[in-house]
Amino acid sequence: MFLLALIISPLLATALCFFVKKRTGLLEFFTIVASTVELVAGFFIFFQVVANGNYFFEPYFIVDSLSTLVMLTTVVVGLAAAVYSVGYLRVEADKHYVNFAQIKLYYLLFNLFIAAMLLAVATVNPIFTWIMIEATTLSTTFLIRFYNKAATIEAAWKFLILNSIGLLLGFFGSMLFFTSVTGAGINNFISWQILLNNAVHLNPLIAKIAFIFVIVGYGTKAGFVPMHTWKPDAYNKAPFPVAALFSGPLLNVALLTILRYKFIVDAAIGSSFAQNLMIFFGIISIVVPAFIILVQRNYKRLFAYSSIEHVGIMALGFGFGGVGTIFALVHMIYHSLAKSILFLSSGNIMLKYGSTKIFNVKGVFSLLPVTSIMFLVGVLAITGVPPFGIFISEFNILSAGIGNFWYIVVLAMIALVLVFIGFLKRAVDMLFGQPADGLVKGEASMYTVLPVVVLVVMLLVGSFYLPQSIWALIHSAAAAIN
Amino acid sequence: MFENSSQLLFILGSIVFISGVSLHLVKKNFLAVCLYIFQSLAIGALLLLSLFSNFSVLLLLAVICTIVVKGIIAPFFFTKLIKKNQLQFSASTYLNTPLTLLSVALIVMIVRIIFLKALTSFDEVSSDLLLLSLASIFVSVFVLINRKGALSQILGVLSLENSIVSFALFAGLEQSPALQFGITFNILVWVLISSVFVTLIYKQFGTLDVTSMKKLIE
Repeated sequence: MFLLALIISPLLATALCFFVKKRTGLLEFFTIVASTVELVAGFFIFFQVVANGNYFFEPYFIVDSLSTLVMLTTVVVGLAAAVYSVGYLRVEADKHYVNFAQIKLYYLLFNLFIAAMLLAVATVNPIFTWIMIEATTLSTTFLIRFYNKAATIEAAWKFLILNSIGLLLGFFGSMLFFTSVTGAGINNFISWQILLNNAVHLNPLIAKIAFIFVIVGYGTKAGFVPMHTWKPDAYNKAPFPVAALFSGPLLNVALLTILRYKFIVDAAIGSSFAQNLMIFFGIISIVVPAFIILVQRNYKRLFAYSSIEHVGIMALGFGFGGVGTIFALVHMIYHSLAKSILFLSSGNIMLKYGSTKIFNVKGVFSLLPVTSIMFLVGVLAITGVPPFGIFISEFNILSAGIGNFWYIVVLAMIALVLVFIGFLKRAVDMLFGQPADGLVKGEASMYTVLPVVVLVVMLLVGSFYLPQSIWALIHSAAAAIN
Repeated sequence: MFENSSQLLFILGSIVFISGVSLHLVKKNFLAVCLYIFQSLAIGALLLLSLFSNFSVLLLLAVICTIVVKGIIAPFFFTKLIKKNQLQFSASTYLNTPLTLLSVALIVMIVRIIFLKALTSFDEVSSDLLLLSLASIFVSVFVLINRKGALSQILGVLSLENSIVSFALFAGLEQSPALQFGITFNILVWVLISSVFVTLIYKQFGTLDVTSMKKLIE
């Protein structure tokens, strides 16, 4: 029942938004109510999974401990982004940057995007997962083009084509995995579990080729280097709440799918092949963005490269295995919160300064004191400064690899130092100094502050104390991956 | 599932492959759309053949939907786009024709070297057909890399999808009717969205040559 509520509420909100005429308040209301229902249902499912190991709506949907983690980050960031969108779009509408039709399309696609992510997480079928991840591409293409300028069209086109190619290659990889169950017949609804049970029948060479396609395909969505090129442009041109959803939940959904196939390939040929591949994509996804972050001049693109770096850290954790896997999952939670804080607080900066170029943003502390503190918390957290949780997760992930992959750990540490220097320099440039004349002190509205404050509180509390139930979930998910 | 029809299957597989190769060579957008129709009809025929061995009404509906979307609706949108915006000639390729053909030959050779060993679990006929589909897949990816036109890129994505479907059918990996509906619906929405974007690109940039889009450079 909770699973149905979780899935139906964003779909219902999409349908209701479709019929709204001229009343923006109704669009906001439907979206916030749906996001709240998703959050409540998500937490009920979470408690069920902690108690029973999984929660299902047979035979099509099942949520296990790993998918519960991804689902939780989706519903938490989803509600924060929904509330933030209200304030954000009201300011944009007041400035006449967007009209009612654009706002309506925004809320409609926002809910559809959330629904697609939740369905991708909850379904038992790999092909349905693919359909839903493709649906996230289709629903967000118009959100990237939201401001209808030449650059937004170009970014959206790049996003559409690259993600479509990536996902088709992922689809092909999935098909190769299906060769282990040939003869199952067309009426058989092949689940992840059936693929896992038949993994021993998979030709080892096909298993390897299939996983390469899966990691390249779904890795495009996750943003692994070198398939990451759509990310900086799409993040830069999408509205800030959508960028927060890209960076947190969507990235996690893509990683979850890769991990599901990792289970199968591990069962077929042992864990070393997938682990080495994860380490390879992980380290290049950390090192390449580190250098770009150092010279980045646009704060939204800076955060996009940071997302690529963090997906690399998570991949490294999954590649190292053991404690690395546990803390890669912990990292997934912290990163979703910290990156959402950064995107949403920088949205407030954008609303005030009207620019995403770091050069144009000076003296944020004096104009937006509350946002500044939240932004600084986000920067410190994302760069892995103690005592924030990301420091703990990064430390443990790298510790897990120091024995067998010390050279990878050294490379990653150098890259993390570069990221820290790059971030700190840009943050100082933005937060301090004299703001341009004519800018008035004050936050846009409660809607643009409250969700970020809540996320900051969650991150701070979570950095010092993660509830036992979440640890139980993480350990259970890690045991499945390892 | 395709017993006693290896000759026909080879012809259909070859159509999918040759259409993919020809997408590199055509200069006119309308011809490229015709090639896509040709390729989609071959996929439709493969789906119909698979229907004979696993008949169900739902599957028949799924197959009809797929044929209608790929063979009628998508080409209809593309030809409408071409007529509306007078886009007779497609943007050029990065490589000239001889180099393109040489690259295609190299792709086919590499595919054979890499995948031949992996396909030993299939019989000789199936592994030949699968190699043909695999070559189509990589040739379609190369269409996306080599062609500069937005419409050609769309057709490249759709050709890639057709090639993967042909691989799945030759490998006996048909999906349930519900999933086939889902995949077809996805393609339909993808075609609609990409068509809208082609119009937007043409309006904004005055050309479909994607190399002329340079607004993201800061």
